[in-house]
Amino acid sequence: MALAAFLGLTLGVAALVISIALLAGFQRHVRGKLVSETPHLLVQPAGRPDFRASEGVEPRLRALPGVSSVSPIVRGRVWVTVRGQAMPSEAVGRAGVDGLMLDLSQARTLAAFPGDTLTLISSRSRLSPLGPVPIVTSEKLTDLAPPSSGRRSAELTMPLAEARRLFAMGEDAANGYEVSLADPFAASAAADEVRRALGAGVVATTWEEANRAVVLALKLERLVLFATVFLIVIVAGLNLAATSAVLAATRSQDAAVLSVLGASPRTVSAVFRAAGAGVGVAGTLAGLALGIALAVILDRTGAVPLPAQLYALNHVPFRVEPLDVAAVALLSMLWSLVTASLPARAAARLPVAEVLRGG
Amino acid sequence: MAAEMEPLLIARGLAKAFGSGTARVEIFRNVDLDLRAGDFTAIVGPSGCGKSTLLHLLAGLDQADGGEVFLQGQSWTALSAEKRALLRGEAIGFVFQLHHLLPELTAEENVALPLLLAGSGERAAREKAREVLARVGLAARAAALPRTLSGGERQRVAIGRAVVRRPRILLCDEPTGSLDAAHATEVFELLQEVARERAGAALVVTHDPAWANRCATIKTLTAEGLAVVS
Repeated sequence: MALAAFLGLTLGVAALVISIALLAGFQRHVRGKLVSETPHLLVQPAGRPDFRASEGVEPRLRALPGVSSVSPIVRGRVWVTVRGQAMPSEAVGRAGVDGLMLDLSQARTLAAFPGDTLTLISSRSRLSPLGPVPIVTSEKLTDLAPPSSGRRSAELTMPLAEARRLFAMGEDAANGYEVSLADPFAASAAADEVRRALGAGVVATTWEEANRAVVLALKLERLVLFATVFLIVIVAGLNLAATSAVLAATRSQDAAVLSVLGASPRTVSAVFRAAGAGVGVAGTLAGLALGIALAVILDRTGAVPLPAQLYALNHVPFRVEPLDVAAVALLSMLWSLVTASLPARAAARLPVAEVLRGG
Repeated sequence: MAAEMEPLLIARGLAKAFGSGTARVEIFRNVDLDLRAGDFTAIVGPSGCGKSTLLHLLAGLDQADGGEVFLQGQSWTALSAEKRALLRGEAIGFVFQLHHLLPELTAEENVALPLLLAGSGERAAREKAREVLARVGLAARAAALPRTLSGGERQRVAIGRAVVRRPRILLCDEPTGSLDAAHATEVFELLQEVARERAGAALVVTHDPAWANRCATIKTLTAEGLAVVS
């Protein structure tokens, strides 16, 4: 009986550790993609369309601790046309970019290929003798961006100077600054630092805030998986309760003898609880060891392959996070203690005289 | 001196019945008993007359349907379960008909158990247990598990366990009931010796008049109470 309870708990805990490690592996990959495809910090003006270089925002951002680089950006809406096909798009001008880069999905819609010349029609206009006319530019498509998991919508990337001209902005103007951080996972603290340094005139958005829906979904997914797989541990714990109840029933004479020898009900309860919880702790520890070992082996050997073209990964990743392991261990041991406590309390309330009479 | 003569255990008007309604069976009533230091009293009666039940009531292990038991001046009914356990462990040693040793523990560990339950350190408890085992003639069997001991040896370990905390009262429920004649004599004599040395008073329940005759006082239990035989 005790062996069955031990094995049940071991397998339940191992299954939980492996499942969480699998999810953590995938989520790490997704978060890595988000971090690489989204500016760690986007600093934009509050209540006005753009920054001017004379405001000195860029050098003040560069001077902040943990900041690796700062790039100005210009952003606006355009119509993209090529060979009679047209579609609206978000356009972003970045320094150091040569030519146009479209998302793969946009290029498919437009049937555009690298080398094609695209016409961009700005949402801004200029005055002409005939009245206001849209600002138009033509640029060669130089590259296609792979499918994105990070950006909220597809966007077109173009040279900064050309974007300033297309959106009728001054030569030193920028809609915002993209900030790269040495530690992207400290973006919230860096955003606070920016707000402190630059005051109320700026809005700082972290990569997590920009991808709020994805980040929230990842957290929720983890929570739901944990709760679902923990049901196995719950069932294993109930099995432990049954084992403890059988132990209390078969050893009722011993419980009665302990009472005769001067053990208080609390002590008798503690003895039986310790016996049940001992099985729980041993099962939990064995389950943790088994789960961690399997997760590490599966990750290192790449034993579960994936089609790399579809997932950008050639095997299923497993990542054992110490916090996850601690949470599994704590909850499993607590549950074992709870399930062992109920029969232990019953053992402490046995009618001693009746048990000694053999009733 | 007056305090010395105060009874260690007093029972007044004890009554016990089992069942309820028409199935109610009254076992005994009006049981009065005084147990003083130095007493070695036997309670006799036929099987089923309630001798063991009386011992359980005296030890605070069961609740009487009437009357009260005072142990060293304290009424069992006035104490909480925790305090009853503490007082029982300190003041009463109990010897069963069947030894009731814990099968996973050695003889030494079984004897040390009451001390450990009382909060003694393991080392001191084991040392005391070895002393007591030597007294009951089982020094060489300290490391033996109960299943490897003979019936007489098990009962001697049980006696050691009952007296290891030097209780003032020893309650024995048919202590020789499961032994053959030779072992029974040996165990009974040991019981008399250790009761004299280590406990203030002893109350032995037996259905065998031969063993009862070895006690200083004999009382017989009937449905109407205890009557002194000799």
